[in-house]
Amino acid sequence: MELKIIRLTKTFDSKNAVDDLMLTLSNGVYGLLGANGAGKTTLMRLLCGLQRPTSGKITLNGKNITGLGERYQSLLGYLPQHFGYYPDFTAYEFLLYISALKGLSDTAAKKKSAALLEAVGLAAERKHKIKTFSGGMKQRLGIAQAMLNDPRILILDEPTAGLDPKERVRFRNLISAFARDRIVILSTHIVSDVEYIAEDIILMKSGQIIHFGKPQEITAELNGQVWEFAVPAAQAERYAAAFDTSNLRHTDSGKTVLRVIADRPPAAHAIQVPPNLEDLYLFYSREAAGQSTMLTQRFRGAADQADMLTQKLTHKSEDDADQQHPFRTIRSRTEMERKINDHTNCNRIMNHEGGIKE
Amino acid sequence: MKTLISFELRKLFSRRLTQAALLAVLLLSILFTSSTYRNMYAFDGKSRDGSGREAVEIDRSIAEKYAGILTDEKVQQMMSDFAPESSLDLHGMNAAYLYHNATQSAAFRRFSDLNGRWNGLTVSDVFGDEVIRIGYINGWLETSQNMTVIFLVLSLVIITMIAPVFSGEYSGVDQILLTTRYGRTRCAAAKVLAGILAALSVTAVVSATQFFPALLLYGSDGLRCSILFAPAGFLDGFIPFNLTCGTLFAYQILLIFTGAVSVSGITFLVSAASKSPMTALAVSAAAYLLPALLPVSETSSLFRYLTLLPVYHVQFVSLMSIEQISGGILYALWAVPVSLTFLGIGSLASSRIYAKHQVK
Ligand SMILES: Nc1ncnc2c1ncn2[C@@H]1O[C@H](COP(=O)(O)OP(=O)(O)OP(=O)(O)O)[C@@H](O)[C@H]1O
Ligand SMILES: [Mg+2]
Repeated sequence: MELKIIRLTKTFDSKNAVDDLMLTLSNGVYGLLGANGAGKTTLMRLLCGLQRPTSGKITLNGKNITGLGERYQSLLGYLPQHFGYYPDFTAYEFLLYISALKGLSDTAAKKKSAALLEAVGLAAERKHKIKTFSGGMKQRLGIAQAMLNDPRILILDEPTAGLDPKERVRFRNLISAFARDRIVILSTHIVSDVEYIAEDIILMKSGQIIHFGKPQEITAELNGQVWEFAVPAAQAERYAAAFDTSNLRHTDSGKTVLRVIADRPPAAHAIQVPPNLEDLYLFYSREAAGQSTMLTQRFRGAADQADMLTQKLTHKSEDDADQQHPFRTIRSRTEMERKINDHTNCNRIMNHEGGIKE
Repeated sequence: MKTLISFELRKLFSRRLTQAALLAVLLLSILFTSSTYRNMYAFDGKSRDGSGREAVEIDRSIAEKYAGILTDEKVQQMMSDFAPESSLDLHGMNAAYLYHNATQSAAFRRFSDLNGRWNGLTVSDVFGDEVIRIGYINGWLETSQNMTVIFLVLSLVIITMIAPVFSGEYSGVDQILLTTRYGRTRCAAAKVLAGILAALSVTAVVSATQFFPALLLYGSDGLRCSILFAPAGFLDGFIPFNLTCGTLFAYQILLIFTGAVSVSGITFLVSAASKSPMTALAVSAAAYLLPALLPVSETSSLFRYLTLLPVYHVQFVSLMSIEQISGGILYALWAVPVSLTFLGIGSLASSRIYAKHQVK
C-alpha cells in the first residue's frame, strides 16, 4: 500500500497551513512532529478527506482518494485531536454506533467493541456514560473507535495527549502490535512516544516537511553538536540564554547540567553527547521563535549543494507537472532518504518544484 | 441501516431540551383538554344549568332531542323552546349572540332576529340544497380549535428536536463520523429517516392525546354531523362547506401530519447548513413562522398559494376554506404533495450538504 501526497496545499485566509507538501508513505509507523500550528492536524484532516485541498492531491496506490469514496473510508481509522462525543451514550454504545457506521455486523461490532475496550483499559467502564469520563478516558475511547474496523491506514492526532504514563505504555504496545502491514501516522508533542514506536519521523514546520527519516538518521544532523556540561547553578540562566538549550538539570552538588546545541564547544569542559529527537525537535521549535541563527547559517551554506541536487533530479522532464517533481524521479523512499541524508536540507528537496529559485 | 436509525433515534430523544419540549407539549395538550372541558357551560333555558360534565350532559341531551336532518319544523321547535323569557333584558344586544347552550346558539345565529324571535328564514334559505345533519358537535369543535394551538407548539417542538440532527454533529463528532465507511451516505440517510420517524411518531402521540379523550368525553355521534350548524364563534364561518365533523377532523389530522413532514424537511435543510443547533433552531422557527406574518389578505390571489406553506397546514382553517373541488374533496389536499416536496428537497439537500461539508 502506498499513500502518496502530491504537492498538497491547504490555505486558510491566505495562510498556507499545509504548503506544497510532498510525501510518500508505505506500511510503517510514522511519527509526525512539529510545533503548535505547524500544520499536523490540517495534514491529517486532508489525509482523511475531512478537508479538501486547495491544490494538489492524495493518492492511494495511484488513485485519487476523493474518487475512492467508501472504499477509502473503509480502510481508514482516525482519532481527531479534539472531538465531540455523545454525553448520554455509554462507552460501549458509542463503539457499537461507530461500528455500525464502519459497516461491521452486529455480532462483529459487539465482539470488536468489547475487545478494544479491554485493549484501551476501559472494560470496567464500558457501561458508564461518556459524560462521566475523564479527559484521558475519552481519549482512550477515541483511540478504540479509530481501530474498530482494523484500519489499514490509522491516523492518530496526538493520541497520547492526556494519557498518564501507564496508559502511554499501554498505547505504545497496542500500536506496536497493531502496526504490521499498515500505515500508522501519529502526531505528538511527546518526543519519547515516537522514539519508541515510530519507524520514521516526519518533522513539520510552517506547513512543510523539514525532516523525514529514521530517528537515528535525522538526529545525525546534529552529530557533534550536542554538548553537556555542568556549571554553578547561579550561572545556569546565563548559559541557557546564550545557547540553544535542550535540557537543564539541577544536581545535588549545587551544580546545573546543561544540554546545549552548538557548533563549537560551549565551555571548556563540555563533552559531546549523541543527539536525540528531543534535541532536534527543540532546536527547530526554538529556531521558529527566532532564538537561533547558527544552524540556519550552516544550512544556507548547504543550500547551494541542495540546489544542485534538486536541479539534477528534475531537469529531465519539464512538461509533466508530476514528473517534474523530484518524487517521481526518485523511485523509492529509501533511495530518496539516502539522498536526503547526504544533504542536510531535505526540506528544499521535498517541497520545491524544479529546484530552488531564490 | 436499522441499527443506524435506532442510534439516531436514541440521539434525538436523549437531548434534554427535546425531552423537556416534548413533555411540555404533552402537558399542554392535557391541560387544554381538561380546562376546555371544565369551562364548558350550558343552560337548558328553563331550570338546569351547569359547567364541565354537567354542561356536556345538558348539551348532549338537548342535541339528542333534535338529532338527525335539520328541517324547518325542527327550527320552529327550537325557536319556541329557546324563546327568551319576556323578563330577559338583552341590553340592546342581538339575540343571535345570546348563549345558553350549543343548540340554542347554533339556531339563534341563523334563525333569530334581534329579540330572539324567528327571523323568517327557512333551512333552504340559509343552507340551500345542503342536507344538514345536526347533533352534539360542540366538544369536537372545541377540541379542533385547541389543536390549532397545540400543534403550532408541536411544530416548534419538532423543530427543536430536529434542529441538532446535522448541526449537532458539527461540534466535533463529525470528524469521526465522516471518516467512517458509511459516514457520508447511510449516516445521513439514517439521520433523515430517524428524524422523520420521530416527527411522525410524536405527532401521532399528541394527536392521540387529543382525539381519544375527546371521543371519551364527547362521544362519536357528533362526528357524523355537519359543521355548518355550529354554535357561534366556531370555524364554520370560515369553512363554508357542508363537511361532517369527522371529515373536518380527518382533514385536520392529515394537515397536522403534512405540517410535521414539511417542517421536518425545512429543519433538516437548515440544520445541515447551520453551525450550531441553536442557530438551526432559530432559523428554522423563523422560516416556519414568518409566512404567517406576510400581509397577504384572503382576497389576494396569492392567498391560495401562501396557505400551502406548513404553518397554514396546522392553522388549517384558511387552507380548508379555499375551495371544495367536489363533495368532501378540498383544495387542502394539495398540502400532501407540497409537504412531500418540502421533505424531498430538505432531506436530499441536507444529506448532500452534510456529506460535503469540511470540518472546521
Ligand atoms: N479551520 C481553520 N481556519 C483557519 N485557520 C486554520 C484552520 N485550521 C487550521 N488553521 C491554521 O492552520 C495552521 C496549522 O494548524 P494545525 O491545526 O494544522 O496545526 P497543528 O500542527 O495541528 O498544531 P497543534 O500542535 O497546536 O495541534 C495554524 O496556523 C492554524 O491557525
Ligand atoms: Mg493539531
